[in-house]
Amino acid sequence: MLGSRLMGFTSKEEPHISYDESVKENWMKEVLKYRKIDAHAHVDESNYKVEVNLDYADRLGIEKLMISDFLRPHTEGPPDDFRTRNNFVIKCMKEHPGRFIGTVALNPKYQKESLEEIDRCRDAGMIGLGELYNQVKINDPLYYPIIEKCIDINWNIMMHSPIGHSRVALNPGEPKNISLPEDFADIAKRYPEAMFQFAHIAGGIDWEYACKVLKDYPNVFVGTAGSNNEANMIDFAMKYIGEDRLVFGCDYGFYQGVGHVFSAKLTDAQRKKIFFENISKRLKKGGLDVN
Amino acid sequence: MLIDSNAYIGHWPFRKFEYNTLEALSGRMKEFGTDVSVVSSLNGVFYKNTQNANEELISAIQSKRAYRDRFIPFAVINPIYGGWKDDFKVCSSTMGMKGIRLYPKYHDYDISNPACIELVKMSRDKGLPVVFDLRMVDRRTSSWMDIDKEWSLKDVAPIVRAVPDAKYLIVNVANSTALSAEDTALFKKTALLMDSSGRNMVDWTDLFKRFGTDHFCFGTQSPILDYFTGLLRIESLRENEADESTKELLRSGNIKRMLGM
Repeated sequence: MLGSRLMGFTSKEEPHISYDESVKENWMKEVLKYRKIDAHAHVDESNYKVEVNLDYADRLGIEKLMISDFLRPHTEGPPDDFRTRNNFVIKCMKEHPGRFIGTVALNPKYQKESLEEIDRCRDAGMIGLGELYNQVKINDPLYYPIIEKCIDINWNIMMHSPIGHSRVALNPGEPKNISLPEDFADIAKRYPEAMFQFAHIAGGIDWEYACKVLKDYPNVFVGTAGSNNEANMIDFAMKYIGEDRLVFGCDYGFYQGVGHVFSAKLTDAQRKKIFFENISKRLKKGGLDVN
Repeated sequence: MLIDSNAYIGHWPFRKFEYNTLEALSGRMKEFGTDVSVVSSLNGVFYKNTQNANEELISAIQSKRAYRDRFIPFAVINPIYGGWKDDFKVCSSTMGMKGIRLYPKYHDYDISNPACIELVKMSRDKGLPVVFDLRMVDRRTSSWMDIDKEWSLKDVAPIVRAVPDAKYLIVNVANSTALSAEDTALFKKTALLMDSSGRNMVDWTDLFKRFGTDHFCFGTQSPILDYFTGLLRIESLRENEADESTKELLRSGNIKRMLGM
């Protein structure tokens, strides 16, 4: 169908128009029936507690969470810092087998150490990079060897997205090396075989702007995580990004993460893709079969 | 029964909404099982003369017989704009509005402004709830032409202290709910509800402990926020956090009590 990718409707099934009465009497049955992987989760010992993650995951039927302990904004992010954070992620994975999928924090300013960290963390069972933060822009040449290594081992690369130019002037509170949607488009074009994930369109960015910029980059997944559950965000992303590139996530905003997917006009098959199948396919390419 | 305590129709100057008419809102209500919605006009946030928005809202509700049973209209009043006392009188009597919404941040007055206090007292005397939002939209992703200001719950405290015997509905509790011990005690004994639409309605055990289960209600902030998240916050409560009778209070019981339904 002409324009079908832009419309995002590659499934033949009609979107949900109305839930039957039995669903309205037991919403949680409907919520829990979909397998879910939270493709944007965090752990640490203060702000992103393991037990809180698991409580909401159990409550909302999230089988697995892709966790990271990201390098904080406005920090230098030296090797000792990212190694310590990755060690905490590895510890969480060991303590809760089957629930957490560890993703790797690193800083390409320390290129040798970052490349070594990928090997070390891969040996420990981690898969993929994320959430990469603002120490270096995603399209900075410092990232090239890191990205090339991820291409070799089929790893997903998830990078933070900014508030950016939502209010025209670049948000003054953000680090100068924040990666803008245009930076993702640039690197996706340079490395069409790499698998990028643009983090949390509900994280404060102008999501219409971001989806429009990323429309024509099939190797960029777009994460639905974040606290800003504005209406129609998912429906809009379906039009521009499509059902095969959207991935469910929460970024610790669990109610919004699940809620706005259920609020969108999606078919059953589209929900399955967004909640589980899209990211699980990428994980499988990297060697992790979650099925 | 399910009552949405926080819905709107009308336009937002900076973003297109899909469900911003009574017809579209009715569709969402049907889809998610909402029986009744408290509704006001978004246009009243931006019209200098908010009474035009109130007239539009009433006209829309009167356009179909079915709407009269499904929508409870709340007026937008600006207490620093000429003729506001007449507006209040018309809205609360002739138009049959069941509550009022105030927008100090958008209409540019302090919540302790004497006119605001007077309006809240007038509402109290008529038994009408007064609604304040902590934010209308997320300031991070808002337009450069929109206000860049959000409230925490403590920012509402001055008016509750000034008129403690009024009825309050605080919506889109997106930011901190931290209050002093005195204000927590005051909020707890006040006829005050917080709706479930805001992003900071997370730790229900703590919220119930601090304010009581009779201080919360279902709300969507539709069409600004997605329709389901506010409901999910209630429906996903475990039995040991909220039993079925408590959930019924949240779905409709508490707001019915406030509205005298």
